[in-house]
Amino acid sequence: MNIKEEIKQALYEVIDPELGINIVDLGLIYHVYLDDATNDITVHMTLTTPGCPMASSIKQGVQLRLEQIKSIGKVTVNITFEPPWTPGRMSEKGRMMLQQR
Amino acid sequence: MLQGTRIKAQTNVALPFTFIIYALFAFLFAQLIILLQTDVFMSGIFRIPPIWMASHLLVLGFALMVVFGAMYQLVPVALLTPIYSERLGFVQLGVTLVGVTMLAIFLGIAPQYALYGGIITVIGVSLFLLNMFLTILQQKNKNIITAFVIAALLSLFVTIVCGLLLVINIVTGFLRVHDPLLFSHMTFGLVGTFSLIIFAFSYQLVPMFSLAHGHKNQWAKTACILYVSGMMTTVVSFWFSNENMLLFLIGNGLLLLGFCAFLADIYDMLKNRLRKRLDKSFSFSILAICFGFVCHVFAFGLAALQITSVRTWGILIAAYTMTWIIFSILGYLNKIVPVLWWTHKYAEQIGKEKVPTLQEMTNEQLNTILFLLFIISFFLFIVGLLLTLKGVAVFAQFIFTLTAFTYVASLLRVFSK
Repeated sequence: MNIKEEIKQALYEVIDPELGINIVDLGLIYHVYLDDATNDITVHMTLTTPGCPMASSIKQGVQLRLEQIKSIGKVTVNITFEPPWTPGRMSEKGRMMLQQR
Repeated sequence: MLQGTRIKAQTNVALPFTFIIYALFAFLFAQLIILLQTDVFMSGIFRIPPIWMASHLLVLGFALMVVFGAMYQLVPVALLTPIYSERLGFVQLGVTLVGVTMLAIFLGIAPQYALYGGIITVIGVSLFLLNMFLTILQQKNKNIITAFVIAALLSLFVTIVCGLLLVINIVTGFLRVHDPLLFSHMTFGLVGTFSLIIFAFSYQLVPMFSLAHGHKNQWAKTACILYVSGMMTTVVSFWFSNENMLLFLIGNGLLLLGFCAFLADIYDMLKNRLRKRLDKSFSFSILAICFGFVCHVFAFGLAALQITSVRTWGILIAAYTMTWIIFSILGYLNKIVPVLWWTHKYAEQIGKEKVPTLQEMTNEQLNTILFLLFIISFFLFIVGLLLTLKGVAVFAQFIFTLTAFTYVASLLRVFSK
């Protein structure tokens, strides 16, 4: 598996503890920038609401999970609310999971 | 954009946890006292030491301590501003717990000494208010939640001042305006402090727990203005409206309208929610909002019919306190405690290993039973009081107390997850 695949897989493994759904299917990941030279990674992500008490935990989860990838460089996670999250960002699978909960 | 690599949890969890654990035990003690004093409730005489003790354990010891704990945890995330001073928070914790314990015990067994507990409580609450106002001053973008929180904190300040004057009056008897002062104390405390803070929490938590999107909160400002105006008008009526109840009626009308505005926003949030199946604790808090609305309708009706019976109003105030304030808190507490514990225990594990979801930390089946029992036993208690059926009231309060013990045990079990 190449590093890009590993990053994608890793992000799928970070679960929103309130909703029990992974952050990729929830549409929380805006951009992932990988520096090909250094393997440094910068993630721009959002949360479903600005005042989420789990914000720091979810952000930390992304950080810790990405740092587990071998050969990864420096990991930076930025949370932004511009643009704000909308339900349209959820994947079909995410929507189905939400209906079941 | 919020940048950074590692993030420290917003508040040291020991602060909210200590308040909440104290609150749970105060809740149990209050229920036991009510169980032992059901006779007194039947007679409609509420101004006696055991009832003072139970009501202050319930309102100060339980509800206010939960509010303190929850605010230390939720204010930083809701207002996106860190608490001004955690150290001051811990000092306030110690002072307040000593003060409230002394006040409740002395009110029950030696009211002449309650003043000492009252003074310490006032110091503790003042420290909290100072910490919160300094926190709010730091907030960059103030919003409607800030307005509700400020109104609730100001109400809390007036409540404790009125309470202190009442305790001084019990000891010295120097005031000739005991009743207006008592009614103002209760209105600022129950309607002002607690209702307004539950409004504030609800505007933050309801969209979050239901994953509402596209709601507008278009009635929030109206709700705040009407409710605060209603509270002020009601209080003024206690002091200046001896003969007719017109001012009191207007006050209750404004409170009802304010509550309706709040209800309209909650309805809009729930209508626009993505999460169709709500969990039981959250549903219980939503149900409590409906109970609050019904209590306001009854209060307006009683005021319109010019009913002044102490017993009738006493039962309505008990219903308002339990079904709106306490039920809201019990529901939200069942959501907040797992969040706090999860953050404390798993924040460093998430991403490294499999961690439980919040839903896996509570027992939904047990929650359903507990919340049903709370509702049924409390309404049975009210029926027992209204029809003067002592056996029914005692049985209902026994079930309520048993449910309270199970609820507390179930909440404490979260700490083993």
